[in-house]
Amino acid sequence: MWYHKPVVNKELLQSLPNLRIVASSGVGIDHLDLNLLSSFGVKVSNTPFIVSTDTADLGMALMLASARRLVEGYEMAVSPDTEYFPADWLGAEISGATLGIVGMGTIGYKVAERAKAFEMKILYHNRSQRKKEEESAVGAVYCKKIDDLLQQSDFVLLSVNLTPQTHKLIGKRELELMKPTATLINISRGLVVDQDALVEALQNKVIKAAALDVTYPEPLPRDHPLLKLKNVIITPHIGSATKKTRRIMMEEMTGSIQAALAGLPIPHEVL
Amino acid sequence: LSKKVQAIYLWWHKPVIDRELLQSLPNLKVIANSGVGMDHLDLKLVASFGVKMANAPHAVSSSTADAGMALLLVSARRLVEVHHIAISSSMDYCEADILGVKVSGATLGIIGMGRIGYKIALRAKAFEMKILYHNRTRRKAQEEHAVGATYCEKIDSLLQQADFVMVVVSLTPQTRNLIGKRELELMKPTATLINISRGAVVDQEALVMALQTGVIGAAALDVTYPEPLPRDHPLLQLKNVIITPHLGIKTDKATYMITEEAVKNILAALSGLPMPSEVLPS
Repeated sequence: MWYHKPVVNKELLQSLPNLRIVASSGVGIDHLDLNLLSSFGVKVSNTPFIVSTDTADLGMALMLASARRLVEGYEMAVSPDTEYFPADWLGAEISGATLGIVGMGTIGYKVAERAKAFEMKILYHNRSQRKKEEESAVGAVYCKKIDDLLQQSDFVLLSVNLTPQTHKLIGKRELELMKPTATLINISRGLVVDQDALVEALQNKVIKAAALDVTYPEPLPRDHPLLKLKNVIITPHIGSATKKTRRIMMEEMTGSIQAALAGLPIPHEVL
Repeated sequence: LSKKVQAIYLWWHKPVIDRELLQSLPNLKVIANSGVGMDHLDLKLVASFGVKMANAPHAVSSSTADAGMALLLVSARRLVEVHHIAISSSMDYCEADILGVKVSGATLGIIGMGRIGYKIALRAKAFEMKILYHNRTRRKAQEEHAVGATYCEKIDSLLQQADFVMVVVSLTPQTRNLIGKRELELMKPTATLINISRGAVVDQEALVMALQTGVIGAAALDVTYPEPLPRDHPLLQLKNVIITPHLGIKTDKATYMITEEAVKNILAALSGLPMPSEVLPS
């Protein structure tokens, strides 16, 4: 299964009596009804760890591209109307700025490792606090209340998985707690953010900018306001989109399928 | 008025410091530059008028290193290209066509391991990149060890192994056209050249040829010669090139820090005290 297709519902499952396994690409399984699949005796696998580094890399790329205005800068550099580069054209400094990571799992932690090298101050919010050694290795400070993270961060990066608890985790209230100079980066799932509230917040300068690898739906309708806003970068869910990683994902998926068909223990089974 | 001018704070190479200007400002004591590069100044000429010079080396390093990494990541993951696809009015694209290159675990070759080059190494290490470097002199063992960098005495060996070649040298007669046809041909056909130093360090025509014929894979240039490029320049048309408007130090914070450094140097010069970052004609 790639990019959530086909849609796995009761109809489909009823029509495939011999289906043994759904091997899903990537780590997220929010698009699958696990109870339903279990009731049909169908196993589920994902590709959890291999996507982490590329997704963390992309999170950093989005943050850097947004802060340093790379897309705008490129357009200026190649535009037929450009005669000179204005002296007062400035971006925001990353080194020394505060990054708030919401969701400090494997991906969130890899982002922290990278951000530390950029001399960033790191705050994080997570269901549970990480071990002291893990925190000090990246200089990350735990914010038990998400409000504390939102109020202090220059960049807020979302790397949670999508669950009923994280659905619309970032809404009007959370956006209003953020600094007006802050940037929201989303590499998790579109539904973690209240998208309408985000549009309003960006239009009214409640926050400064957003960089989104994920939206709801994907892709957005072509007339969606997010596509028009100058202070938004959108990428088409490319978190794991490198040749190397996609190859390994495919290998892992076929490995899981082969194991399931042979009745053997399934690597990366989701229970 | 011209007799009153004692100091010039040079912002983006303006005004042009030539003999005429120097002759017209008899009481000029110091020129402080907004940035670290001094290639736009005739150091000997300025010194011959008894005018001191200063640059701003400390303020620029982190911002420029950040910009170098930004260019590397944005190029590798094709961010500009796919952003345009994501917002375009048609959504016809094939998922397999937008794959990028994995940065983590790739080999970065840093040409010029000064303050900025070293900060790049620190950042790249966090991305689990393998780091090679070429420099006029070798760094101390602890410095190499701290970033896991391997010294390449010959630039060739760096060029042959690197997936990303990052050019971070100052522009001098020795580094002009440092990267030419020969160097580009030594690079891997899948490699990316990133230039955050000066346009003139790269033989631009050779670069265009190399990109057009697949001798190297891509380029990301914050600097060109001239800036901006003429609007019909081939580099602006190539799909595998990102160009940015010399934004290495263009952040709110860096601008502030550069000005602070410049003011410190100016005040020191005017009081006859040692200057924190004086630049002497070598």
